[in-house]
Amino acid sequence: MAVGPRIAAFGEQALMVELGDVFDETMVARARAIADAWERLGHGPALPAYTSVVLHFDARRKSLETAEHDASDVIARAAPAVSTGTARLIEIPTVYDGEDLTDTAARSGMSVEELIRLHAGRDYTAYFLGFLSAFAYLGRIDPRIVAPRLERPRTRVPAGTVAIADGQTGVYPLTSPGGWRLIGRTDVVIFDPSAADPARIHAGDRVRFVRR
Amino acid sequence: MMHVVEAGLRSTVQDRGRWEHLRLGVPPSGPADPAAFQAANALVDNGDDAAAIEVIGMPFVFRLDDARLVAVTGRDAWLSIRSRLPGWTSVFVRPGETVTVRRGERTRYAYVALSGGIATPPILGSRAAYLPAGIGRALTSGEELPLGLSTSGAHYAARTLEAPSYDGRIRVIDGPHTERFEPDVLARFYGSAFQVDETSDRQGTRLVGPPVAPRGGELLSCGVVAGAIQVPRGGAPIVLLADHQTTGGYPVIATVIEADLGKVAQANPGETLRFYRFERATA
Repeated sequence: MAVGPRIAAFGEQALMVELGDVFDETMVARARAIADAWERLGHGPALPAYTSVVLHFDARRKSLETAEHDASDVIARAAPAVSTGTARLIEIPTVYDGEDLTDTAARSGMSVEELIRLHAGRDYTAYFLGFLSAFAYLGRIDPRIVAPRLERPRTRVPAGTVAIADGQTGVYPLTSPGGWRLIGRTDVVIFDPSAADPARIHAGDRVRFVRR
Repeated sequence: MMHVVEAGLRSTVQDRGRWEHLRLGVPPSGPADPAAFQAANALVDNGDDAAAIEVIGMPFVFRLDDARLVAVTGRDAWLSIRSRLPGWTSVFVRPGETVTVRRGERTRYAYVALSGGIATPPILGSRAAYLPAGIGRALTSGEELPLGLSTSGAHYAARTLEAPSYDGRIRVIDGPHTERFEPDVLARFYGSAFQVDETSDRQGTRLVGPPVAPRGGELLSCGVVAGAIQVPRGGAPIVLLADHQTTGGYPVIATVIEADLGKVAQANPGETLRFYRFERATA
C-alpha cells in the first residue's frame, strides 16, 4: 500500500518532501516535476533527488504553515512530463583504463572486455545532480556488474574519471575524494563555472559512454 | 577600490549565497557565520545582497580610495586604525587610512563589510567564492577589489549591534529524519556535550561524543541544507555549513536554526557544543 508524500520541516527555511523509500524512474521524474513546479511558481529554489525534494522558501515572507500548504498544492498538481523519447542524448567518449577495472570485472565474474561492453552498451538516465558540482547520478548499470562502494574511499579521484557504484555510474567533474570504483576517464569538461550552462549533463538527459 | 595589503590565510568574498544552481550540485556557499555577516552589512547600511569579505587567518590589512563606512564582526574581532576600535560597530574610514582587522584566538571567521559592498563580477549569479569548484578564489596580498557605490556618510558611523554569545548552546529543530533514531539515542543527543573535531571547515563541523547512530536501513541520497546535522553509521554527527554538498546520504537527526549556525562554525577544535530543541512559536 503506497503511503502519500510526507512533508517535514527542514530547518526554518525549507521543507523535505519524501515520496517513498524505493526509487524508480517514475519516482525520480515525479520529484523533478515537483521541483520544477515549485520554482516555476516562484516559491524558491528546489532540489530533487531519488525519491525526495527539498523546497526552500523565504521565511521572512512566509510562515511554515503557508509553505506546507503551498507544497501540498504543488505535489497534488505536479505531473511528470510524459516521456516522449526526446530527452537530450549526451555522448561521453571514454578510455576504459580505470584502476578498479580488473578487480571489478573479476568480482562480477566476467572479463574486462565484457564489463566494458556492458557499460558502454546502454543509455543511462541522469537522475539528479549532487555530491559534487555537476556530478550526475546515472542509472542503471547492467545488474551483472557487481560494484559496491569502496570500503575505504580514495582521498583523490581526478576530474574526468568515469566510475561505478551501487548500480549507478557517473563522471567526477572535479578532482575530489571519492568512494566509487574507477573504470575509465574522459576529456569532456563536465563542470565549467564560467560557461552560461556550467553543467554538461542535466537531470533528465540520456547519457551514453562511447569507447575510445 | 579596496587595496588588500595583507590577505590573511584564505579570505574570500562572500554574499548571501548562490541559490539558483542547487540543482546542478553547486552549494549555496555564503558566510560560514551568517549572523555575523548580516550584522556587518547592516552596520554599514548595505542591503541583503551586498558582498563582504570573510577573513580566515590574520592579519587582514587594507586601504580605501574613498571614504567608506566599515564594520568588522566575528566571534571576537575588532579593528585598528591608529588605535583600537571595537567590532560590531560601524566606523568611518577616510581615504588612505590603513585598517587592520584583528581578532582573538577564538575567531575562526571574521567579516569585513564596507558601505557599497564589494563589486567583483558575479559568477553563476553570486559573488560568493566556492573554492572547491574553482568559483572565485582566495584573496591575495596586493590585489585590488572594486566597490559599489556608497551612499552612507559619516553620520551613520558609531552604530553598534550586539554580538551573539558564542556559548556553544545550539538551538535546533527536529527532523527531517528524527524517526530514524531510537528514543534513547535522541535523549543522548539532547543530553550530551559534543566536541568539535579538528577536521571541521566551511563544509561542515565534525563532532565527537557519545555515539548517536541512526537505526539500520538505507537512506537514499536526498537534498540537504546548511545546519543539517547528519549522522553517519558510526554515530559521530556532522553539522553542515555553507560549502556543504547539495545532497547527502546520511540521516539528519535535527537542523540548526540559522541564528545559531555561526556559533557552530566559529567553534574551535576541542570546544563543546550542546543541542537544544527550539520551539518555533518563540521565534
